[in-house]
Amino acid sequence: MRLKLAFLAATVLISGPCLSLAAERGGVVNVATIGEPPTLDPMASTADLVGIVTQHIFETLYTFDKSWKVTPLLAESLPEMSADGKTYTIKLRSGITFHDGSEMHADDVVASLGRWMKIASRGKQAASFIDKVTATDPQTVTITLKQPYAPLLSLLAFNNSAAVILPAENQADTMSAVIGTGPYMLKERKPDQYIQLVRFDGYKSRSGESDGYGGARHQYLDEIRFVPVPDPNTRVEAAISGQYAYVDSIPVEAYDRVKSSSASKPIMLKPFGFPVFVFNTKEGLSSNLAVRKAVEKALNTEDMLAAAFGAKEFYEADGAFYPKSYVWHTEIGTEGNYNLGDPEGAAKDLKAAGYDGKPLRILTSRQYEFHYKMAQVAAEYLKLAGFTVDLQVVDWATLTQRRADPKLWDIYISHSPFLPEPALMGALSTSSPGWWDTPARKAAVDAFTSEADPDKRVALWQTVQKTMYDELPLLKIGNFNAVSAVSNKLEGVEPAPWPYFWNASVKP
Amino acid sequence: MISYILKRLAGMVVVMFLVVTIVFIIVRVTPGDPAAVMLGPDATPQDIVALRARLGLDQSILVQYVFYIGQLLKGDLGQSIFLNVPVGQALIERAEPTFFLTVFSLLIAAVIALPIGIYAAYRRGSFIDQASTTIAMLAASIPSFWLGLILMQIFAVRLGLFPVSGYGGPDASFLDRMYHLTLPAVALGLVSSALILRFTRASMLDVFSDDYIRTARAKGLIERRVVLKHALKNALIPILTVLGLTAAVLIAGAVVTETVFGLPGIGSLVVSAVLRRDYPVIQGALLVIAGLYVLINFLIDMLYLLIDPRVRY
Repeated sequence: MRLKLAFLAATVLISGPCLSLAAERGGVVNVATIGEPPTLDPMASTADLVGIVTQHIFETLYTFDKSWKVTPLLAESLPEMSADGKTYTIKLRSGITFHDGSEMHADDVVASLGRWMKIASRGKQAASFIDKVTATDPQTVTITLKQPYAPLLSLLAFNNSAAVILPAENQADTMSAVIGTGPYMLKERKPDQYIQLVRFDGYKSRSGESDGYGGARHQYLDEIRFVPVPDPNTRVEAAISGQYAYVDSIPVEAYDRVKSSSASKPIMLKPFGFPVFVFNTKEGLSSNLAVRKAVEKALNTEDMLAAAFGAKEFYEADGAFYPKSYVWHTEIGTEGNYNLGDPEGAAKDLKAAGYDGKPLRILTSRQYEFHYKMAQVAAEYLKLAGFTVDLQVVDWATLTQRRADPKLWDIYISHSPFLPEPALMGALSTSSPGWWDTPARKAAVDAFTSEADPDKRVALWQTVQKTMYDELPLLKIGNFNAVSAVSNKLEGVEPAPWPYFWNASVKP
Repeated sequence: MISYILKRLAGMVVVMFLVVTIVFIIVRVTPGDPAAVMLGPDATPQDIVALRARLGLDQSILVQYVFYIGQLLKGDLGQSIFLNVPVGQALIERAEPTFFLTVFSLLIAAVIALPIGIYAAYRRGSFIDQASTTIAMLAASIPSFWLGLILMQIFAVRLGLFPVSGYGGPDASFLDRMYHLTLPAVALGLVSSALILRFTRASMLDVFSDDYIRTARAKGLIERRVVLKHALKNALIPILTVLGLTAAVLIAGAVVTETVFGLPGIGSLVVSAVLRRDYPVIQGALLVIAGLYVLINFLIDMLYLLIDPRVRY
């Protein structure tokens, strides 16, 4: 009996801090994440989990609003651009302080962008276009480009491999102190146990309305604790029991169970991203365009999506690289090239291409179960088309290593969220595994990345998408939705690819 | 006896050297790259090569091995690639949940298994004996993580009596921590109790047939005294062995249960280190686990000396 009373008392103690009583300001929330981020340095990794946690601690000059337009964050306004598109003059907001109490000035921004260009994957991508970054005065930074580079603003706004602003004296390649300007600051990190963030009292929010990642950032919550819960089934049970205020990434099969829960409700980001089959265009079987086209012809992508995501409410067969809700959406190139499901036709094309039965090596992982399910369906269609399929199921760490060697694979399976700027897509880079590097790619991509006019860029993206369908460096399978769960006691959380909690509050 | 102890200690050093070498080789020949995992899916090959060089992973396996052995001889388990802390520190931080989970599970297992095992042996062939043996066989066949999921479903999700996962937040008290450990400890304890129960029963049955027990009864000692003082004392050696080995299995083998319940123990550290290819952590954790196994076995042998005066080495 005493033990029971002790446990009941403990229940009160434990459930207390999770969702304590609060009116508008106050409360501690526990957020269940898919694991432990590999680092808290947002420049050092392109992993989504790093961005999800660190975007509360660090801030960039720009960010994205609800409609994925670039909007200022630490910058006062959008930059003034020279007529030739090669000079960006960025005015900084005044009175911004870091978590260590020091004030942010142009020197900090110059040093941070220097570090970003030196160590961040996306920073290095931009660095080849940047001539210099200088502090014009304490509140102004000027970026001079070697040639016009339209994706720059999006790169400066992205929270992935992010151009966050750090104090000038905290610029070592290996981050030693986690100090940013964000609404929450790091109190304690116990790896694999929790990352505890507390409200930064010196935070200066932008005025006006909140708008996606942009606009005002309210600090209603006292604390946000990111707790790794790597097992997906445990995350589902945790959501149903209401143990966490927010549970990230729930298997779609559990949607109805969470929906019937009295403690939490599911939230769906529709659409979240797209799975892809990336072809090795450099070496081996799939370096032959006719073989890639035969794969495309053989596959019924709708069947693959159904196997991977179940009910139709969780996926959409769509060949366009951006869905209808994005300005980048276009059907150009998809007609007659997507979701063909014609293994007989593919078999004829394959024969004409002189295919000799060499195994088609498909690399996939069960780390993302939907990759594996799609691979299984694809393998059957490809066998019907006459391919000898070598399905290599490895863990994600092995896949990321093997895909770097063009001798080891023909197709690898991956996925991506819909990125706010198409130029950020890895497949467009010639160094990305797949190594798509042709004159047509160069012409289409260079024209797209060097054009500054937004309307012209939309038209140029159509050319890029058409080139991608013509040359098939990768095969888009469709769109899929992401499901998370939010406690009925938490409000102000919007579905987002990188969920944020600065505008969240605990219901009184 | 001293020469026996010295021989055992020398054997332990050889075993540990073999463990270090085999683990090092297995970890290095396993595909996967910590640099690629750390840098994320969109990292460029150049970034991955640069990070591998910074971590010393571009050196030959032999060079890395010599360097690692040199580190170990200085008492240094290395630096975690992902956690950016010394491996020793990472293991010490994870030792607490694993230690308490082991003690809690063992306590549950012993409380269930010892009285039932003794009673089943005493009432051999009775309904209780048959039922307990059958249930023990069933429990031994159940994976602890599966039982954990069932307990989670009933006691955490439906009844809301216990948390689903975790080890409590930054402000959690000792009681909170134990409360978080209850379901995984019950799952592990129930499954472990099956083996202990069967060993206790078998060991007690052996002793009951000995002459000195018959003599004790003939002298008119009360049954409780015969069973608990005379029989149990001599039956304890195999029971202690199995309790010790169960403790070792729980320290190393709670890997899946810790992962399912999101406990930040040594088991889940090993799982995440394998997935991240955090080589120093995998090597350090397996070295410590193997060391504990060897040490527990050694201590059990030493314990025999204290319990059984007939045992001489």
